[in-house]
Amino acid sequence: MTDILIASHGHFASGLKSSIDILTGMAKKIQVIDAYVDKSDYTKQITDFIQNAKRPAVIFTDLKGGSVNQKVVLKAAQEKDIFIVTQTNLAVVLAVFLDNEKLTKEHLQDLINQSQVELFQLNDGDESSTQEDEFFG
Amino acid sequence: MIAQLRVDDRLIHGQVALVWTKELNTPGIIVANDNAANNQMVQMTLKMATPTGKKLLIRTVDDAIKVFNNPKGANMRIFALTNSVKDALKIAQNVKDIEGINVANVGRFAKDANDAVQLSSTLMLSQDELKSLKELASLDIPVFNQVVPSNAKTPIKTLLKNK
Repeated sequence: MTDILIASHGHFASGLKSSIDILTGMAKKIQVIDAYVDKSDYTKQITDFIQNAKRPAVIFTDLKGGSVNQKVVLKAAQEKDIFIVTQTNLAVVLAVFLDNEKLTKEHLQDLINQSQVELFQLNDGDESSTQEDEFFG
Repeated sequence: MIAQLRVDDRLIHGQVALVWTKELNTPGIIVANDNAANNQMVQMTLKMATPTGKKLLIRTVDDAIKVFNNPKGANMRIFALTNSVKDALKIAQNVKDIEGINVANVGRFAKDANDAVQLSSTLMLSQDELKSLKELASLDIPVFNQVVPSNAKTPIKTLLKNK
C-alpha cells in the first residue's frame, strides 16, 4: 500500500480520510494535515512524512498554487519518488489508496485520468443492458 | 462460479465496487434483483457504480439463477449481489457452485423496524428475513458477515445463537 499524506486548508484532508475509512475501513495509515485550523506549524509534518515514508509515496494537496500546495512543493518537489498531486478529489485518493500496481509516474497519471470531476448527464453513454454473450465473452 | 454472493441493501456502491471486486478478483458482477431488472434508472445508477473494466449483468432473481447455471460461466469468477436474504436463499437453493455467502448489510434502512432483530451493527432483520437466514445458514455453504475485507469473517451461525 502506497504511503499517503493529504494536506489541505481546513478539515478537507481529515474529511477525505473519514470518507475513505467509511468506504474501506482501512484508512488508518493515511496521514493528514488540516492546515490553519489552529496556529500550529504544519510544515514539520511534511518534513516527517518525507523522511519516513516508504518510496514511492504520494502527497495530495487541495488547490494548485494555494499556500499548502506551495509549502509541499518547496519541501517535496525535489525528493526522488515522492509524487505531488494537486486539485485533489475523493476518487483520486481512493484510486491510489486501493491500487496495488507499481506506482510509476505514468500509472499515477492513469489513475488521475480515471478520477476526474464530470458533469452528470442522463442517458450518458450506452444504456442498453449487457447481454449474456458479451458478459461471458 | 460465484466467488461470493453478497447480500447488501445498497447492491453496488463504493465499498462493494472498489474494494470487493479487487479482493475477490472477480471480472464479472451480477446483480440479482427484480426491481433493478425492471427499472432503468436503478440500472443506470448501478452501471455508474461499476468499476472500469468490470462487466455487469442485471437480472431478475429467476433469470440470474439461469445465468449462474450457464456452463459458460463455470470458469468465470463472479461477484453476485442481492439486497435481501430471501433472494440470496433462493439463489443458494438453485445454484451449485457458490464459494461463500456474505450477509453484509441488511435492513438498516427498513421502514418498519418494530419487530426487527439486530444481529450485528450492520444486520437488522425482519422476522421473514430472519427465517430465511436460518434456512440459509443450514445449507452446506459458508455463510458469514464481513462488511469490508479488513473485518474478520463472522459466521452467521454464531450471530444466530439464541435467536
